[in-house]
Amino acid sequence: MEGRLRRLRSTRLGLRSRITLTFTLGAFALSVLLAGTAYLLTRAALVRQRDDAAVDQAYGSARKVNDALASNPPGASEALESLGSTGNANPLVFFRDTWTARSAQFGPDSLPDELVRRVIDDLVPARMSYELRGETVVAVGIPLTTASASYFEITGLGDLDDTLSSVLFSLMGAAAITTALGVLLGTFAARRAVLPLADAAQAAKAIAGGRLDTRLEDTDDRDLGELATAFNDMASALQLRVERDARFASDVSHELRSPLMTLSASVEVLQARRDELPERAQSALDLLVADVSRFQGLVEDLLEISRFDAGAVRLHREPLLVAEFVRQAVSVSSMRSTPVHVSERAEGLVIEGDKRRLARVVANLIDNARLHGGGDVGIEVTEGDGDAEVWIAVEDHGPGVPTEERERVFERFARGGGAGRRGSTDGAGLGLALVDEHVRLHGGRVWVEDRLDGEPGARFVIELPAETA
Amino acid sequence: MGTRILTVEDDERIRAAVKLALEDEGWTVEETGSGEEAVEAFARQPADVVLIDIMLPGMDGFELCRNLRRTSDVPIVMVTARADTHDVVAGLEAGADDYLTKPFAPKELSARIRALLRRARPTQTGHARLAFGDLEIVPDEGKVLLAGEELHLTKTEFRLLCELASNPGRVFSREMLLDRVWGYGYFGDGRLVDVHVRRLRTKVESDPANPRHVVTVRGLGYRLQS
Repeated sequence: MEGRLRRLRSTRLGLRSRITLTFTLGAFALSVLLAGTAYLLTRAALVRQRDDAAVDQAYGSARKVNDALASNPPGASEALESLGSTGNANPLVFFRDTWTARSAQFGPDSLPDELVRRVIDDLVPARMSYELRGETVVAVGIPLTTASASYFEITGLGDLDDTLSSVLFSLMGAAAITTALGVLLGTFAARRAVLPLADAAQAAKAIAGGRLDTRLEDTDDRDLGELATAFNDMASALQLRVERDARFASDVSHELRSPLMTLSASVEVLQARRDELPERAQSALDLLVADVSRFQGLVEDLLEISRFDAGAVRLHREPLLVAEFVRQAVSVSSMRSTPVHVSERAEGLVIEGDKRRLARVVANLIDNARLHGGGDVGIEVTEGDGDAEVWIAVEDHGPGVPTEERERVFERFARGGGAGRRGSTDGAGLGLALVDEHVRLHGGRVWVEDRLDGEPGARFVIELPAETA
Repeated sequence: MGTRILTVEDDERIRAAVKLALEDEGWTVEETGSGEEAVEAFARQPADVVLIDIMLPGMDGFELCRNLRRTSDVPIVMVTARADTHDVVAGLEAGADDYLTKPFAPKELSARIRALLRRARPTQTGHARLAFGDLEIVPDEGKVLLAGEELHLTKTEFRLLCELASNPGRVFSREMLLDRVWGYGYFGDGRLVDVHVRRLRTKVESDPANPRHVVTVRGLGYRLQS
């Protein structure tokens, strides 16, 4: 359709996926941001805390080493001994140009040059944190005033890394949970957001299916209200138009009935006096009689089909024994002696049907076989594929219906591709369309196929819901 | 005197053509163009059958039916636009005996009229008097009494009651009654029976909502009992 909005086609993802995706990405970004910030802040606070603790401890130890060096000279090792346990801090002393370290692992090589220079050369206490063999460490250096020595401590922050990685792990877990909640919330929100659209889609389907009085419910929501109002206005306009069209067809047919009534009554009066007429007038009368009845059939079909279009057809359903019904319907049709074969199981099948409308269906199929088929016509009543259907099949020995025309023959005024196949007593072309409408209203379907016995000819089958009596 | 048919139809040409066709059957036809005219004509000289088009200007067909029914049991055929509307039931409830849809073949109309005329003749039940509790039927005199009081039934109602009475207690299907009372085959309209039974009940039952005489047998048909 020309008027279809292109915007609707440009997005590949559905609205629901888009809403869900937005919620998911939003929750993910937000949780990553929060977790990252929390991690960085925690890390900074912990590092500062450990730093301060290391500096405090280093000053304490430096004082002890200073005292030891001053009172009990001269032994750096002894001074270090006097410190006792220092936890995970590794002390070093630079005394009389010699390094003494408690741990061989944390010798003077482990200290950054800059720190050593500032403490020993500039005599300024200094602190520095750096990576040592893959571990974060903090080194504190303090010049000892009394003993003209320098005290260093290297503290490993490895345990802090452990703490931080477990914090990071928890935060990542929290972020994952938040994202998952985002997905759930997104799915829920998407469903809620699309619900009115689903209602609208269902209503549109109902309208397309012929229930033109379908409307969306009024809603307090302003955004949705606008959609509902627009939708309902459209449906009303459509209904009005369809009704106007249907009324026109119905009005035309109604108007035709009165002249038709006069025609058929007058023709009957003439027919009663046919023998009194000259030969040429008799021929003219015969033509008149035939076409008045054809005209009458056409108007009746038009009326009936306009009733379908207006949705005004009300079936008078009653339980009918299919076999009995078909035999009766054949007996009032245009080919009363058409043979009817009923399968054993179909004999007991009952349908809920409108007797007179279904008789019309059978009559139309027989007329169709007579006018457009030809040869011997037969009717078969059998149980369907399932247990709940009956098939009424009308077979002829005509040329059959080509595959590409098998849908089209049920359209109104459909003419077969080969016009030559149709005789001069051509039906109106509404007969099969009416068959289709009637059968569908009964919850059944109709189709045309090849004869089952492989001989040339068409087989029209109507399938109706049935039960065993 | 021959059979007289009164037609009520506002379309002049249809009226004329139907008159010609019915006269071919040997009947006398009096034509009128409105309900008011028809009431007047019927009062002047009653007809044997009345044919009424439901769609009339002024007094409509339903009203005309009810009007005629107040004084007469004359068989009435009505003409409706179509079979599947409420018009049919409304017309039958107003007192019509049968209906046709427009356009109908005059042959069909003649067949209906002949069936109605047959019905108008006395019925043979082989009984002089039938009693069902307080309901009494005198077939030969065409009389029905409820608790000793004579009822006014139309000829179709009477015929329907006599059919049911011909075999008391037996269930009559709609098809059977359509065939015997109206002369219709398999494709007769079951509503004819249903509405006539309803009409009959308002007359022969003391409480039409809970019928004791004309009883519905679900899914099968109707039965007459005491």
